[in-house]
Amino acid sequence: MSDTFSFLLMAWLDPQLLLLTALGTLAGIYVGAIPGLSVTMAASILISFTFSWDINNALALMVGIYVGGVYGGSRTAILLNIPGAPSAVVTAFDGYPLAQRGEAGQAIGLSTVMSVIGGLLGTLVLAGSAPFLADMALEFAPRDYFLIAVLGLLLVSTLSGKSLARGIFSVALGASIGLVGMDMVTAQPRLTMGSMELLGGIHYVVVMIGLFGVAEAFYQLHNLTKVPIKQKVDKIIPPLSMVLKYLPLSIRTSIIGVIVGALPGTGGDIASLFAYDHAKRTVKNPSSPFGEGAYEGLVAPETANNAAVGGAYVPMLTLGMPGDAVTAVILGALVIHGLNPGPMLMIETPHIFWFTVGNLALANIFLLIFGLTGIKVFSKVVEVPKALLIPLILVLCVVGTYSINSNMTEVYWMLGFGILGYWLKVFGFQMGPVILGVILGPLLDETYRQAMSSVGDSGGQFLLALVTNPLSLVLTTVIALVLLGQTPAKTWLTSQFQRN
Amino acid sequence: MSQKFERVQPGEKVFDWLLLLFSIGVLLEAYRIDGIPSVNSPGSFPVGLALVMLASSVVILVSHRRKRRDPRIRNALHEAQVFLHEHFQPHIVVFTFLAVAYLAAIVWASFYVSTYLFLAVTFIYFRHGRVVSSLIISAVAIAVIYALFTLVFRVYLP
Repeated sequence: MSDTFSFLLMAWLDPQLLLLTALGTLAGIYVGAIPGLSVTMAASILISFTFSWDINNALALMVGIYVGGVYGGSRTAILLNIPGAPSAVVTAFDGYPLAQRGEAGQAIGLSTVMSVIGGLLGTLVLAGSAPFLADMALEFAPRDYFLIAVLGLLLVSTLSGKSLARGIFSVALGASIGLVGMDMVTAQPRLTMGSMELLGGIHYVVVMIGLFGVAEAFYQLHNLTKVPIKQKVDKIIPPLSMVLKYLPLSIRTSIIGVIVGALPGTGGDIASLFAYDHAKRTVKNPSSPFGEGAYEGLVAPETANNAAVGGAYVPMLTLGMPGDAVTAVILGALVIHGLNPGPMLMIETPHIFWFTVGNLALANIFLLIFGLTGIKVFSKVVEVPKALLIPLILVLCVVGTYSINSNMTEVYWMLGFGILGYWLKVFGFQMGPVILGVILGPLLDETYRQAMSSVGDSGGQFLLALVTNPLSLVLTTVIALVLLGQTPAKTWLTSQFQRN
Repeated sequence: MSQKFERVQPGEKVFDWLLLLFSIGVLLEAYRIDGIPSVNSPGSFPVGLALVMLASSVVILVSHRRKRRDPRIRNALHEAQVFLHEHFQPHIVVFTFLAVAYLAAIVWASFYVSTYLFLAVTFIYFRHGRVVSSLIISAVAIAVIYALFTLVFRVYLP
């Protein structure tokens, strides 16, 4: 028990970790707020610089960036009507009308406090649920891991794009990229197109930087000349009565945020949409009509997207399945540092888990401090023109990619993935499923082959095991239902059900 | 009863056809691993993934039947013109060209020199002149990159 506490408080008591968490949170707020920069982009680039660092230092910085970044997007959503991050899109619905009414300061203050409440509740759920889930996961067979990964990727495909087919294509594309290189078992080259250079595979950080950094930079070129309308900001700290008034809604939407965040591939953007919808349906007398400056419309998404952070860590730390694109990057960082995300993490390196929990809580405290101060400086920084930002993003992507293996070929690959990502984005494909595919592709391959070996390479036995083992049966049924839910059969079944 | 149709973007159909061709390419490449794979072989999963890509790209193409072209687009030639106008605007083409030239130049002109030139030229172009401030901002950016990555992060740069 005393060990657990010492790991929990490690980031609070070590000055270096404290500083890195503070720096990460502050940087995250700006990264999340500046349109054109994203938390995933920052974390992807950062992972390459922190290769040689101590794991705790690297994690402290990334956790800070993640927590700050998810919140930071709301600031520009309120002030400029430009959400800095996808999770803040919904915040702009009521945040910007509030700013137009001259209540920008109060809106920012309230969103900060509610984000912190959501973040802390999400962390609490992580601390409470992850050890039990990890214990359960120890009983999982490779077949179950395979099914969980399939389910996760299917959910990503379903929820994150404009069509299931596009989502599934993105996931399969990512998984194929993840398989490039030598086979782990037979050392046979796979999908290398005869290239010797590809025998070592394509580093997923190269793909991440290309898809999230370069692709975004190219995409932002369409808005190069867009000039935001500035708002005046006054008193920022919200009165206690206001916080207490919206606390019940905040707790409800925190729960929504944690649950949605824990589903692989969903993250804060979908959590905030669900929470906003919940607020609209349940709040009978909002402070103003929704969409015209309702504080409830601000509180719900802001609490949920920060609560989703803790939720996203649950499957990542207990099952080795990232909850969203940022936790996919953090999972990569853990692997690079020789750790084993999944149920064994809690047994082999419990200090990493408890350190992360303590660190998330600390980052939320820093979020409260930085969120309620420095607004004047902030308004200046976020006005940095895209004409300056876009070339700088490309330079950072080059530095980040080169620093992985000091290899210029990887830099060219990164640009190639950036251009591919741009076109995919233009035609409605999401980058998150591709990245999750890259990360989970090798895991799917490995667990599938282990599962096959365990039944003597018999396809029939494998299918039988899917329905005879209770957990496998549950997972197979859920997968079938998710797939069914995307077909016309769902509409037919719903109409039959309603008729009866 | 009126039916609502989703709009197809200029160039979307061509892109989706390219994805189908790409999926066929991946399938052929996966087939090369060990021919028709058994259920548990190095090629089984790549072939499976390629088939998933192929099937989903076919579904994407079939979904075009439920979509309609923007009524303002008159014919295929006009669609090509709109596509080029949207995605090949001069500043996008110039930035792409500068980015490729920058990456090519890093090898023979060193990282700092090529980065400075890339930033300076791009800033001047994007900001329609303002030469002096662009040169100063580029110099400051280089100084920050040096301090941050070479001194703090100790990253080896090309």
